Amino acid sequence: MQTFADGDEVDLVIVGAGAGGTVLAQRLARHGWRIVILEAGPFWDPDRDWVSDEAGSHHIYWTQNRIIGGENPVPLGKNNSGHGVGGSMVHFAGYTPRFHPSDFETFTRDGVGADWPISYEELKPHYERVERELPVAGQHWPWGDPHGYPHAPHPVSGAAERAWAGARAAGVEMRVGPVAITNGTFGNRPHCIYRGYCLQGCKVNAKASPLVTHLPDALAHGVEVRAGSMAARIETDAAGRCTGVTYLNDGRERFQSAAAVAIAGYSIETPRLLLNSASARHPNGLGNNRDQVGRYVMVQGASQVAGRFPETLRMYKAPPPEISSEQFYETDPSRGFARGFSIQTLSPLPIGWAEHVLADGHWGLALREYMRDYNHWSVLGALSELLPDPDNRVTLADEHDDHGLPVARFDYTETDNDKANIAYAKQVMREIWEAAGAQDILTIDRYAHLIGGARMGFAPESSVCDADHRVWGIPNLFVADGSALPTQGAANPALTIMAESSRLAERLIAKRVDANAHRDDSSTPAPV
Amino acid sequence: MSAPRNGHEERGTDPRPENPKRLPRQRRGVVPQMRGRYPDWDVLTQVDHWDEVTRRVVLARVDDVPPIRFFDESEVRSLGTFCDAVMAQTEEPRIPVLSFIDDKLFCGRSEGFQYASMPDDQETWRLLARGLDERARSLEATSFAEAGVDVCIRIIGELQRGELSGGVWERLDPQLTWKVVMSSVLDAFYSHPWAWNEIGFGGPAYPRGYARLGVGLKEAWEGEEAFELDPVRDVDERGLDL
Repeated sequence: MQTFADGDEVDLVIVGAGAGGTVLAQRLARHGWRIVILEAGPFWDPDRDWVSDEAGSHHIYWTQNRIIGGENPVPLGKNNSGHGVGGSMVHFAGYTPRFHPSDFETFTRDGVGADWPISYEELKPHYERVERELPVAGQHWPWGDPHGYPHAPHPVSGAAERAWAGARAAGVEMRVGPVAITNGTFGNRPHCIYRGYCLQGCKVNAKASPLVTHLPDALAHGVEVRAGSMAARIETDAAGRCTGVTYLNDGRERFQSAAAVAIAGYSIETPRLLLNSASARHPNGLGNNRDQVGRYVMVQGASQVAGRFPETLRMYKAPPPEISSEQFYETDPSRGFARGFSIQTLSPLPIGWAEHVLADGHWGLALREYMRDYNHWSVLGALSELLPDPDNRVTLADEHDDHGLPVARFDYTETDNDKANIAYAKQVMREIWEAAGAQDILTIDRYAHLIGGARMGFAPESSVCDADHRVWGIPNLFVADGSALPTQGAANPALTIMAESSRLAERLIAKRVDANAHRDDSSTPAPV
Repeated sequence: MSAPRNGHEERGTDPRPENPKRLPRQRRGVVPQMRGRYPDWDVLTQVDHWDEVTRRVVLARVDDVPPIRFFDESEVRSLGTFCDAVMAQTEEPRIPVLSFIDDKLFCGRSEGFQYASMPDDQETWRLLARGLDERARSLEATSFAEAGVDVCIRIIGELQRGELSGGVWERLDPQLTWKVVMSSVLDAFYSHPWAWNEIGFGGPAYPRGYARLGVGLKEAWEGEEAFELDPVRDVDERGLDL
């Protein structure tokens, strides 16, 4: 691996080696950019570092402390937060749907959420490119902007067969995929072996994560990944530009000089870093003159409904992501709420299933009996599009981490529209299981994914960065991860985060992003 | 509905309903309390097919149970009773749930989040031990561990339903405490290969993989279920939900 000295001003420092940061690095490195990626976690060797085991996989999640509050606090850690090279895609299930064209203009169409400063059409070629690179397997996709996938659909397990039969009987269309799991060997990546541990890191390397999809090419083109490097703050100069990143490595504070910085730490750590970068010149943190940093953080309602069948289904076999439906994705006024949801199969392993049974209220002998019946259940999950709200936000807590840095606090409260969406999605899933002939049904509530916190928009009054991901007021600072997305749709976010970075890289390469153009007119902080 | 008794089934004064009559004794390998649905399934017969790193991590749970280093003796008594009750581990062999939790807290491994209204996980567990004892004493017992099954079950039910108040419970939200501690209990119990035997889970399958995915199918090496029974009806009929 190429290495750079701290004092060597590289073209770009990227904070975070996940979906957003790695794709950006790979694209730009191919055009000669000199790049260092600072990654707080380790540089994984899947064979040595990962296990086929739920409880043994906590090290791949971000388990440093964070405070959660609001009326509906959202558990973090293994639920939605990655750690180490590859980021959250190391533990994501593998679903890689596109957003729908409507997602880019929910305010215009439905009067909710926010319009994006870019359109689906601008992102489409990057969706197509990333789908080939991952590659994505699935049936032809009839929803949103209809499209096909480069790899054929995977076979489905008995658990998903039951769900599919129920969906057909209930009038719900489902399709196999789309999953970023190789169906057939792909370069040096082997075929999926259906061992079921997608959420614990794919030892097989069949499931895509930047560690196996984009990072190898980035390294081959001179990118340095500096693992074990926790970004403490982004430094700025008197001219209002950033000069590099101060970070902690092996207990030592260091500074990497750079001509530009891209933050790709996801929806909790990206706002935290912007806020922790407060200085005399930026007393509210970077990009936060209008009190926008950390706001509009979203999660998806991910309620699970399980059905029980007399036959053994052994849902631990095959990848947890198998078949899905986007039939309910768009707004339907007759439902009484704006926007919609997706339905997907999930296949919790024993600990995950025990959490489901506990959440349904069972413990002691009852819990043990439900668990003895593990092999008879199949699980559907919803992804309900919950709407962005300014008060669902990341702030700095009073607590500090091991480095002495203030930790993030994430407050979350559902709106009435959110509650109605979740309730409707659960009802549809129950109807599917009833139509499938399930003997019994267990329903629980949970959340999945993170989006927003440093969203792109049309003006600094209502966003943190512009359509080119550039933080308002700091011309050489970019946000290149899921925190930049203004809405989340009812789709798993990984593919869109990658496609966004692919688009940003294309614009930077073509010099369509003028590094000296707009400035936030409020170099002096506005009252907040 | 009482199961035939033998040397392994001394249940003391536990008044709760027995396991279903058909639940067979384990014939091969170990399951907690020796009864599951897969009497001839021992996942540990498959360890030669697991990758080395996974094998090491899983076998340590059986062969290398960590010593108690975080909790003191009184906490071990209260919390050991608590862990046994919430997992219905009424007799040996037991999965040593509290040992794994103690190790996690001693090593400072956290889940990656803390409820704003709650102390950190280490403090939560210590306060839980105190809170259980406080409530047991208010019910005329000397401690939670000495209180007997009925009182323990009553107190745990109050914890789960958020019905505890006063003393420690002014600092500890009971329902959030339940969520926090049960997450660790389930993690410890269902990560243990004896629990995988009990539920018929095939376990780690790398590099071998799974090939027979369809309804009613199993790999040649997987265990056969002795019978099937819908737990929703069974639990309801026997009144097992507490």
